[in-house]
Amino acid sequence: MINVTHLTHAYRQAPWRVQRQWAGAFLLGLLALAMISALYLDVTAQAAILGREIQYLRADTTDIEHANADLQTRLAMLSSADSMEQRALALGFRPAKAGEMHYLVVPGYARPTGVSLANTNPPASAPSTPPEYTQSLLEWVAAYLQQPASGVAGGVLP
Amino acid sequence: MKEFSMRQEYAWRSMLVTAFLPLFALIVLGQIVRIQVSPEAQIFRDQADNYAMVKKTFYPERGEIYDRDGHLLAGNETVYTVGVNIPDMADASTIAREVSGKLGLDYEETYQKLLNPYGLVFVPLKNFVRSDELAPLKTTFEQMKKDAAAAYQPSPLSGLEFQPNLQRSYPENELASNVIGFFNRDSRGNFGVEEKYNDLLAGTPVDAWVPQDPNRAGEIPKVPDGTTLILTIDRDLQAAVERSLDQALQDYGADNGTVIVMNPRTGEILAMATTPRLNLNEFWKYGEYFNQSYEYNPAISMQYEPGSVFKILTMAAGLDTGTVVPSTIYTDTGSIVVGDVLIQNWDRRPWGPQDMIGCLQHSLNVCHAWLSTAMGQDVFYDYMQRFGIGRPTGVDLAGETPGRLKVPGDLDWYPVDLGTNAFGQGVAVSPIQMMMAASAIANNGRMVTPHVLYGMVGDGRQVNINMEPAGTPIRPEPAHTLSEMLAISLENEASLALVPGYRVAGKTGTAEIPVNGYYDSSQTNVSFIGWGPVDDPQFMIYVWLERPSASIWANDTAAPLFSEVAQKVVILLNIPPDAVRLQVASQ
Repeated sequence: MINVTHLTHAYRQAPWRVQRQWAGAFLLGLLALAMISALYLDVTAQAAILGREIQYLRADTTDIEHANADLQTRLAMLSSADSMEQRALALGFRPAKAGEMHYLVVPGYARPTGVSLANTNPPASAPSTPPEYTQSLLEWVAAYLQQPASGVAGGVLP
Repeated sequence: MKEFSMRQEYAWRSMLVTAFLPLFALIVLGQIVRIQVSPEAQIFRDQADNYAMVKKTFYPERGEIYDRDGHLLAGNETVYTVGVNIPDMADASTIAREVSGKLGLDYEETYQKLLNPYGLVFVPLKNFVRSDELAPLKTTFEQMKKDAAAAYQPSPLSGLEFQPNLQRSYPENELASNVIGFFNRDSRGNFGVEEKYNDLLAGTPVDAWVPQDPNRAGEIPKVPDGTTLILTIDRDLQAAVERSLDQALQDYGADNGTVIVMNPRTGEILAMATTPRLNLNEFWKYGEYFNQSYEYNPAISMQYEPGSVFKILTMAAGLDTGTVVPSTIYTDTGSIVVGDVLIQNWDRRPWGPQDMIGCLQHSLNVCHAWLSTAMGQDVFYDYMQRFGIGRPTGVDLAGETPGRLKVPGDLDWYPVDLGTNAFGQGVAVSPIQMMMAASAIANNGRMVTPHVLYGMVGDGRQVNINMEPAGTPIRPEPAHTLSEMLAISLENEASLALVPGYRVAGKTGTAEIPVNGYYDSSQTNVSFIGWGPVDDPQFMIYVWLERPSASIWANDTAAPLFSEVAQKVVILLNIPPDAVRLQVASQ
């Protein structure tokens, strides 16, 4: 019995050592919490900054669209039928009369039938804000936990 | 011993504090969790969500309108609402002075608005300010802001805001105003294409919830613009026709006029000129020009007795039924009795034996009244209905009138109407109805629906509108025969409607205007309908002048206007003279 007690004493850690371990564990937890908080703050701040940038870009887009519409209308005003006629008259032109027209036979010529305003470039896809810019860290964790587990051995190796 | 007791007491206290603090922390944590998961918390969260997002409607940019060559007829431009954000306002008197001075407002009124905003956070001072009008005020605003920033002071114009909006703009002002219509500040299309295709042009607004928090990025939906429309109208031809019409009104002293140019093969309306015309950028002056809505576009909305141009439909029916052929001789005695009523020629004299070309050439009422009675009322009215008389053509412009064709069985139909209708009296049509009916004669018996929409552009793709047939009232042979007869009749009388270098077919119409129930021979509606080249019709023109004072006859007024317009048409549409065209065809 004495031997057992001796053995226990021999392998028991000193009280100060136990206390230090507890304090260390607590500090480690505190550090982890601080790191998560810092990360959360950083992500949130970045999301806020990007959110603001998106808003500025959106406002810029609206301004540019308005400017485009203005320029298009202004160009149309400058090249209106009345303006063009006045400019042509000022340059010394006059309307042609039927007898003054000369027609040339151009093989293969086809008279244009009408304008095509179709956009030859493919339409830009609608811009969408990726979830990285709108999700909070907690929302991301929740979404991660809710999504079905994907098998690690899903791929087939040769 | 005492020292031991103190150390023990200190240890106990330490342990107590050590135990209490985590316990307190646990209690706080527990409380946090309890509050977070409590039913009340959910209520608060729901309330917060209500305020966090706001429902906003995003309106698409209104679609543009182009002519067939891509000239912009209706677009959009930025206009501004100039106002003051009251909480940010620094100096009301300076704002009032600058805004009133540069935007032409009353200083005292503006100043009082700013001093007494009646609870408004944003006080608008002037709406719909154009960019060029706003430029001086914007320059002053920027300069004052810069100066104030240099002096570390707030700008005296702080709080002044310029909120941009899009407004409809019409670069061609009055051109084709009757076709285009206008978009008013109540966001509604009025008349013409703007009204007919309002839903397409306006697009579909999209509702979306957007976050109130400016730091939160919300998803704003991409709102596609309204559909862009391409019209069949040729801007340059429209301008030329409008000029010719305006000049004709002056030359012949007519009250008003209408000229329509259409492709008889497709029904595409190439020009539609009417008077008066409204500057679409000043649409609020509508009341100064028009008393009734049908006056806005008489080409489709106003019905009138067409007179002798209607005879081509009677003759077409006669030829198609085989009642007459071009060489059929009718001995004109100067009068005929139909339904116990005496019908006379326009000059009240007999013209003797006439073939059918002569009947058309001399525009003999008696001959045509005889023809309609020879066909019989059932056949005659059946043909008139086949030609679309008495019902809308379906032209894609707002406000079309159906006209009026009385038929046997109607309370106001009398047997004499069979005779008078044959030469265009007692029947009411619109110019566009006559165009559609006559298209059958120019187009191998096939009638086309007149239309102004050439194509639509949405999402970068263009869809063109195909020709829509409107029936086949007569066979191709009678149609060819009648075209030829009308061309010969014009050539025989050396009509002022003839177009040098081009063979055209056509018919005049002079109709007295009923005043107080009686026809007034001094007031007439003069018309001309014609098409060409006869062997390959590429244009059809309808002319209508109201009450010309220089001459009451269509031969002297409407016919020369037709010729002038046709000469412009062949140049602007690149239609070579017959000789050149036939030479090319023979090669």
